[in-house]
Amino acid sequence: MVDAGPLLRLTGLTKRYPAVTALDGLTLEVPRGRVGLIGANGAGKTTMFRMLLGLTQPSEGHIEVCGLDVAKDPIGVRSRLGYMPEHDCLPLDQTAADVVSTFGELSGLPARAARQRASDILDLVGLDEARFRPIGGFSTGMRQRAKLAQALVGGPELVLLDEPTAGLDPLGREEMLALVARLGTFGISVLMATHLLDDVQQVCDHVVMIDGGRLVVAGATQSLLEGTGTLTVEVGPRGTELVDALARIGLSASSVDGTVEIQTNGDDHFDVVRDTVADLGLPLYRLSTRLTSLDEVFLRHAGTAP
Amino acid sequence: MSVVDAGNSGGAVYDRGYRPYEGRRGRRGAATLALVKASIRRALGIRRTWRQKVAPFLLLGVVTIPAIVNVGIGYVTRDSPADGFEILTYRDYVGVSSALLLFVAVVAPDVMCPDRRQRVLPLMFARPMTGTDYVVAKVGAIFSILFAFSFLPQVVLFLGNMLVSDAAIDYFTGHLDVLWKVPLAIVVLAVYYAVIGVAVAALTDRRVIAGASIIGLFLVTSITSGIVVGNFESGGGSAAAVVNVLALPIYLRDIIFLGHIDPDSPLGGVANGGLLACGVYATVLVAASASLLARYRWVER
Repeated sequence: MVDAGPLLRLTGLTKRYPAVTALDGLTLEVPRGRVGLIGANGAGKTTMFRMLLGLTQPSEGHIEVCGLDVAKDPIGVRSRLGYMPEHDCLPLDQTAADVVSTFGELSGLPARAARQRASDILDLVGLDEARFRPIGGFSTGMRQRAKLAQALVGGPELVLLDEPTAGLDPLGREEMLALVARLGTFGISVLMATHLLDDVQQVCDHVVMIDGGRLVVAGATQSLLEGTGTLTVEVGPRGTELVDALARIGLSASSVDGTVEIQTNGDDHFDVVRDTVADLGLPLYRLSTRLTSLDEVFLRHAGTAP
Repeated sequence: MSVVDAGNSGGAVYDRGYRPYEGRRGRRGAATLALVKASIRRALGIRRTWRQKVAPFLLLGVVTIPAIVNVGIGYVTRDSPADGFEILTYRDYVGVSSALLLFVAVVAPDVMCPDRRQRVLPLMFARPMTGTDYVVAKVGAIFSILFAFSFLPQVVLFLGNMLVSDAAIDYFTGHLDVLWKVPLAIVVLAVYYAVIGVAVAALTDRRVIAGASIIGLFLVTSITSGIVVGNFESGGGSAAAVVNVLALPIYLRDIIFLGHIDPDSPLGGVANGGLLACGVYATVLVAASASLLARYRWVER
């Protein structure tokens, strides 16, 4: 049964190696849902995953995953987690069906249930027709899907995804992100480590940013994406007409890559812009406030982090 | 489950979605047993190409042939049996060493090295499983196959001898000791080869190197022992014979069947030779197990 408590509760989490401090006093509470763990390479994401799985002991601090103390019950925690590493990690000479059902059994499922779930999960990730082919013959995208399947077969409460879109072409990336987005609707929480902030912005409802082992910022994705004081309008190829009309009524506007950007001090100019577009007889494709990107949030907070 | 109407065709596309698992769920024991089964399947080539099935089943054939030949000769000569004549004794048949050694050298690397080379270990240890469970499962898998492949030919031999004898019941009651000596001796042998094979294979991620190392270990110690002991007469062996790690379980087999070291063996006639063999056997076993456990302890660090 799914617990209603937080997904993760980290208290003063620190991991020191002889030459480097991988995580430094991380304290945060993360709600259930799809969470993006953002950080540059070497920021401590993989170390954090290993500690969440109970495979690495923290130097200091305390970790709770899905309400379980990792130090006291690492096996119980692992029973509730699925893990998809970044690197290649599947036996290449076995079929996807065999590999996924074996990992189902290793997750504690009876053999029959593991086989049945392997079939269902491979169907879910789009490998239903390739399930009896050896993984060695799979493309990068298919291998990523097979890795996701083995993470899901045990029926986890939380899946840890380490760079799930690494090495994928744009179409494969979109398909993988769509799969990750669907996991939330199945009641599976996701912690997705990546350095691709667009991926997180696309599918995650919470964000944790770390840099050099320290917490940069954490919060709901939407709360971090503040307004920039810029309205963006798409009116097709006649954007310069709109720029001129807005200039005549005292609004500063410019046309950037076919999109008209208008500097405002709030949302109070929406009506004026809409009416101007209507007066000019232009088609209105989009009218919105431009938000900051997670890249900008990361860069701004990384500079001020302790 | 959502359904999308496919229009006039009358068909529909079903999105089966995802169903959370709410059934019975095992923990460490279940995961370890699952890994034992998966490793046995791998070792026997089950669900793999025919080439991977050749080695294990060729071995089973090779180790079973002597039993079949023995029973066949017993059947042909049943009307004129030579008094006390035995082609193959149960004791001799425990430890068809070179065949088992070759098997361990092929199979132990095959179940150990790919996990490391293909970086599967992080996936395994993200399951309810510890490094110790992993080691137990791998050794358990190799042990199970070695036991089965050593025991099945003995069963063929025993049943065959029983059936071609003049009085099957008398043969059975006259060989009751075999029923515990054979399995015990096979356990001693299979545990030893399994632990050493897995321990050596765990040191590298390359199967060829692991296989060569296993054979090399047995050959080098065997040759070294042979040189040190030199020629000997019955009862005139040397304590240096225990250097031969390949032969240690054979000495224990002799103790199980005979109650003492075979005088004709290289350890024959050595004072407390049986105790020495048991001590060295245990030491090798403990050292190999400790090496294995240390190798996979990083998992819980």
